[in-house]
Amino acid sequence: MTQPPVVFVVDDDPSVRSSLKFLMSSVGLQVESFDSADALLQRKLPDAPSCLVLDVRLRGLSGLDFQRELAARNCHMPIIFITGHGDIPMSVRAMKAGAVEFLTKPFRDQDLLDAVRIALEKDRERRERKKEVSDLKERFNSLTPREQKVISMVVAGMLNKQIADQLGTAENTVKVHRSRAMEKMRAQSVAELVKMIDKLESSMKS
Amino acid sequence: MTAEAQGVGPSTEPMDLQALIETIPALVVCALADGSAEFANRAWHEYTGCSSQELTGWGWHATIHRDDLPKLIQEWTVATAAGKPFETEARVRRADSEYKWFAIRKALAVSRDQAGEPSLRTLIACEDIHERKQAQENLQQSEQRWQTAFENSAIGIMMRDRGDRFLAANRAFRNMLGYTELELYQLRSIDVTYEEDRELNEELIEELREGKRQHFEMEKRYRRKDGRLVWVRNNVTLVPGTGGVAPFLFTIVEDITERKKEESERCYIEQRYRVMVETASDAVVCIDERGAILLANPATTKVFGYDAADLIGKPLTVLMPEYLRKLHEDGLRRYSATGQRHINWQGTELTGLRKNGQEFPVEISFGELTVDGHRIFTGFVRDISERKQAEELRASLHATQLELAQVSRLTTMGELAASIAHEVNQPLTAVTNNANACLRLLARHNLEPEVLRRALEEIVGDGSRASAVIARIRAFIKKASTEKSELDINEVIQEVLALARRELSENRVLLEPQLTKALPPVLADRVQLQQVLLNLIMNGIEAMTAITDRPRTLWVQSRVDESGDVMVTVRDSGSGLGSEGDRVFTPFFTTKANGMGMGLSISRSLVESHGGRLWATPNSPHGAIFSFTLPAAARSPL
Repeated sequence: MTQPPVVFVVDDDPSVRSSLKFLMSSVGLQVESFDSADALLQRKLPDAPSCLVLDVRLRGLSGLDFQRELAARNCHMPIIFITGHGDIPMSVRAMKAGAVEFLTKPFRDQDLLDAVRIALEKDRERRERKKEVSDLKERFNSLTPREQKVISMVVAGMLNKQIADQLGTAENTVKVHRSRAMEKMRAQSVAELVKMIDKLESSMKS
Repeated sequence: MTAEAQGVGPSTEPMDLQALIETIPALVVCALADGSAEFANRAWHEYTGCSSQELTGWGWHATIHRDDLPKLIQEWTVATAAGKPFETEARVRRADSEYKWFAIRKALAVSRDQAGEPSLRTLIACEDIHERKQAQENLQQSEQRWQTAFENSAIGIMMRDRGDRFLAANRAFRNMLGYTELELYQLRSIDVTYEEDRELNEELIEELREGKRQHFEMEKRYRRKDGRLVWVRNNVTLVPGTGGVAPFLFTIVEDITERKKEESERCYIEQRYRVMVETASDAVVCIDERGAILLANPATTKVFGYDAADLIGKPLTVLMPEYLRKLHEDGLRRYSATGQRHINWQGTELTGLRKNGQEFPVEISFGELTVDGHRIFTGFVRDISERKQAEELRASLHATQLELAQVSRLTTMGELAASIAHEVNQPLTAVTNNANACLRLLARHNLEPEVLRRALEEIVGDGSRASAVIARIRAFIKKASTEKSELDINEVIQEVLALARRELSENRVLLEPQLTKALPPVLADRVQLQQVLLNLIMNGIEAMTAITDRPRTLWVQSRVDESGDVMVTVRDSGSGLGSEGDRVFTPFFTTKANGMGMGLSISRSLVESHGGRLWATPNSPHGAIFSFTLPAAARSPL
């Protein structure tokens, strides 16, 4: 369906960086490593499930600052922090800001690999959700203004007659708009349509 | 006279005159008108022992004392010429050559010769007045002696009449007042008496006059002619009149100016001491040999809360807490017996007990005085609560500083530890990752030899990198964590004792510093040395907390040992090391409930890192001795 998942590694220590790459490659993951946050930001991120293994202590922008920076750029790639001397306040801050895991060096390789798997899964789900919403939006946008109006009233639970009265048109006309709109939205039932509109609305809000 | 006597010549003695003079009860010489002798009576011969031949003519003059003869001859001549009676006094020689006084007179008598012709004769009668004369002379001599004594007496003597006019005043008195005799006779005694003393003086004299008293004594001041005052002690007697002499006042005047001056000086000094003692802010307490309080000044009330008067007769021990009492009693007894002092007498810090039961720090100095064979001890007790508080504040400030130094050192250590963790974790992480990757590939039979070689190379590289980090850190610690400088060990001891002061006093431990002055400096890290000392002192204090049957004493001694090293000894009277002995230096060994067992182990390492030794020995009869040595700075290995 899409491109294979990618793990990004940012650590300023070349040994650690290359060993991380080697470790994750050994389980078949595609890994790209960078020696600084800036270097990562230079790269165009692929449209594939991805996650970031990030050292807290970096030259230039720190790991936590980089986490904020990514969020500001609307990049929601899950982050796994690794640190040489993590303390509790630091890990709390990172987790609150949405980090998947906070690992203290030296960590068990399985812990890192598990965290990476979870992160990639999370990102894949996120991407799917995002894809679904954009599909719905596309379909919704293909409706005529009259069809959109009718659908919103249907979702609100109004009967055809009530809609016709309110729009000052014939009940039959409403029925035509409604069936055409359902078709365009690929909704099998009113219930499905309600779910779709719900998803759209909640994505608009967020 | 001589011509006349020669002209007459010897003649037959007229019997009648001879018979006559024998009847006169005196020595009688019968002479011619010119005084040349013819004969004498038997009394004369017997007294003088002279023969008739020795007598005749001018021979009798030889019996007259040589000093008296010229006067006799002269008076004889004058009286004869004037036709007046002759009378003189002269000494006449007795047969044994002794002279005696005689009154010598002459009288005329008529002598008839054998023919019955009358002729004029002179009778010289010598009457023995020796005793009268002697008495008179004695009297004169006595008077002379009195006069001389009076005049030359070292003590002033004066006499005045009842009207207070001077009758006589001797030289001592005149000198005392600076007046001449004549000037004095113009004055009354009261005129030269100091104004303030006059009234009393006149009253006393009035009482004498009225017969109310026979004599009096008075200390008073005279104003000298030059205006200065002279202190005298007068002994005045009224001498009753006798015969023609009117009653008069006889006064012996003793100059007591010097004594008065000394007295007033002594009085001033006494006064000054009394004022000092009375107004002193320190409590001053005198005790006798048995320790009973003889005297306490008003400050005692302020310091101890007892009424000073209530303390008299009480034992001194009421002013000290229970745990010091036996120490004091034993000490006083020992001192009385052997003269050996159990505490320093100048400025010893001890604990006092107020009436309300509160204990407080005092500084005590002692003085000793022997009065009538009894020893009296005077203690000066100063309440040093405030000073102690200030000291404690200072000590706690100092402690804070010390703690800060420790903390900053620890912080550095903490940072260092973090840095170590990070620096070492990086290669370790890499090593683990590489090895794990290899294992995973191996498990899937997918490990290419080339991949393995690269991974192993990286593992080896990271391994050496980790040891390089550790070597670097070790070198850093070695260089940075000790700052050795030349230190006076006594100064460091004092600093640590100040830090431990609160623990010492809270645990009622008596501190006995025995610091040898002018020790050679040691080359050491001040903070580490403080740690070692503080550790030993705190151990000592803790070892004594359970002791109740004997004084808790901590001795801290510094000196140079036999090999020239500076040696510090901390000795306690606590529970001792028991069988544990050498194990106390083993890491994590402890006898304390909340100890880590690291103190002595670390202390030993610290001392050894300074080139010294730290060891423990049992103290006799109780407790432990911890000693350590440090090389003197000049010989310290660097």
